[in-house]
Amino acid sequence: MSSREEILQNVRRAIHVQYEMPDLTELESISQKFPDKVQKFCDVMKAAGGNTVILKEGEDVNEVIRRLYPDLKRVASNLKEITCATFNPDEVQTPAELDGTDLAIVKGVVGVAETAAVWLTQDMKERALYFISERLIILLDKEKLVDNMHDGYKHIDTGDYGFGLFMSGPSKTADIEQALVFGAHGPREVTVILY
Amino acid sequence: MSTKHSKNAARFLKDKEQVAWHDQTLWMVRAKRDRLGKEIPEWEKLRDAASAIKMYSNSHLDTLLTTFEKNAVANGAKVYWAKDADEYCKIIYGILQQHHVKHFVKSKSMLSEECELDPYLESKGIEVVETDLGERILQLMKIKPSHIVMPAIHIKREKVGKLFEKEMGTEPGNSDPTYLTHAARKNLRQRFIHADAAMTGANFAVAETGEVVVCTNEGNADMGTSQPKLQIAAFGMEKIVPDRRSLGVFTRLLARSGTGQPITTYTSHYRKPREGGELHIIIVDNGRSKILANEEHRKTLNCIRCGACMNTCPVYRRSGGYSYTYFIPGPIGINLGMLKAPLHYYDNVSACSLCYSCSNVCPAKVDLAEQIYLWRQDLNKLGVANPIKKLMSGGMEYLMNRPKLFNSTLKMAPLGMGILKSVGFQWGKGRDYPSFPKESFNELWKKGKVK
Repeated sequence: MSSREEILQNVRRAIHVQYEMPDLTELESISQKFPDKVQKFCDVMKAAGGNTVILKEGEDVNEVIRRLYPDLKRVASNLKEITCATFNPDEVQTPAELDGTDLAIVKGVVGVAETAAVWLTQDMKERALYFISERLIILLDKEKLVDNMHDGYKHIDTGDYGFGLFMSGPSKTADIEQALVFGAHGPREVTVILY
Repeated sequence: MSTKHSKNAARFLKDKEQVAWHDQTLWMVRAKRDRLGKEIPEWEKLRDAASAIKMYSNSHLDTLLTTFEKNAVANGAKVYWAKDADEYCKIIYGILQQHHVKHFVKSKSMLSEECELDPYLESKGIEVVETDLGERILQLMKIKPSHIVMPAIHIKREKVGKLFEKEMGTEPGNSDPTYLTHAARKNLRQRFIHADAAMTGANFAVAETGEVVVCTNEGNADMGTSQPKLQIAAFGMEKIVPDRRSLGVFTRLLARSGTGQPITTYTSHYRKPREGGELHIIIVDNGRSKILANEEHRKTLNCIRCGACMNTCPVYRRSGGYSYTYFIPGPIGINLGMLKAPLHYYDNVSACSLCYSCSNVCPAKVDLAEQIYLWRQDLNKLGVANPIKKLMSGGMEYLMNRPKLFNSTLKMAPLGMGILKSVGFQWGKGRDYPSFPKESFNELWKKGKVK
């Protein structure tokens, strides 16, 4: 008998009582809502060590990015509206070539106010870009903010590349004496621009 | 007659400053957990839901696992089943060997600790690099984690400074955590880029989509799996959840309970292999089906490995992870150790004051303390009950059944206690002996002094 069959047989033998799947509808309906989702998202992001910028009416996102980071050399983006990028990350041959990227600009799909987590569906050749870049800017439509993770999970998809993630702020660790340090492996700075 | 736990704890307790720091730091994490939990009015309902989803999942494991397999295969992954640690190690080695892997990066996986994967692979000539900062520190020090979420919580910064000086060429005498973390970032960046394969565990495996979900703060799992084309993910089969909707519940609980954050920085869903790459997924039993068959203890399979029970445990905080004999310490480790091999790990069941705090903080409502209590009832049956405690409780039973003898013995009690104290009675070590009143309650009652 294969291990697969043996494991499944042991599992079936072990189960005597089958519990029902709980109905989550009530929990989801009473779960935290925020009168001002933008404010909540910004507050939680700040606590997570990230930044938020709210794009003003008529303001050009490229201008805002240049103002935030005037001196960066390698700026990656495959987004059409981003003209301040210095290269298209989809043109690299290997993900290792993305090492040394000063800033990557990507698009978020949905943002969750309670956790300041933004869902990113891989929409570039190498997902490494999200992690290897020193800094990350996520563009997110304000209208795509939801209250809590229950709502967040209703709107996600892993896309053609079969990869996506919720990201909340910069990479961090507290593994040395519980002292909080940003930039463990991933971006040291994360800014969400809400438009 | 001291248990191994109490002997090991005595060693840990020698450094009073370190013990106080350990205790206070973990309590701070527990307090953060409380603060974040209280921000959510529906917190207790979330815990109920998490527990109910786990009870459903674990009692439908066969169908959920086969659904997961079907979907993962449709996504382009290759799925393996390992009945024990040996098979798990061999499957991984087989994959690595087939791809001529020499450099292998890993993100933290308690399953790999459980199955002792690293020493196995190293014995086969494969270089394994742990990439979680805490795990990397321990790997270079050649020691084991002392906590499942904060593996190097017992290591002081000066020691890390010295270690990195030798291993990464950092400035002598510099033990600033930011400096050291960034030195490790630079050092490990090269390891990621030159790795031939990357491996992760899983926090969740979603049956509905056939994807594995990994939660980290550092981003090491993602750095690893986004460089080499070969990716391996392995999980203990109780990590299965039915659908993404369930993750709405678990992602709200996991980091809040474990580290006191609203969510981990990264909650990554790995569904398909990278373009031109391979994704290998290993489903591991290694004793879990046996736990499932154990009615009294099957709820341990609800555990999502957040570490909250350790942070809250007054014994863990003051005795450290190394005082336990099982590789997972604290309340959950006491229970998992007993399920693994009771005669080997029974020492740990006394590392509990039965305060039940662990049961109260567990996000998936594992009845940790209740189970430890049950294990203690089994010690006699297992033939490992402490003979002094057995004698004491046998004696008490004899006395309680004989009121006259009980009353006269009670009069002698202060004297008896004095004698025990003077001969250095084992049970009294580290305990304050009670002071006896001049008159017993019984005497007071008879004299009408009790109103």
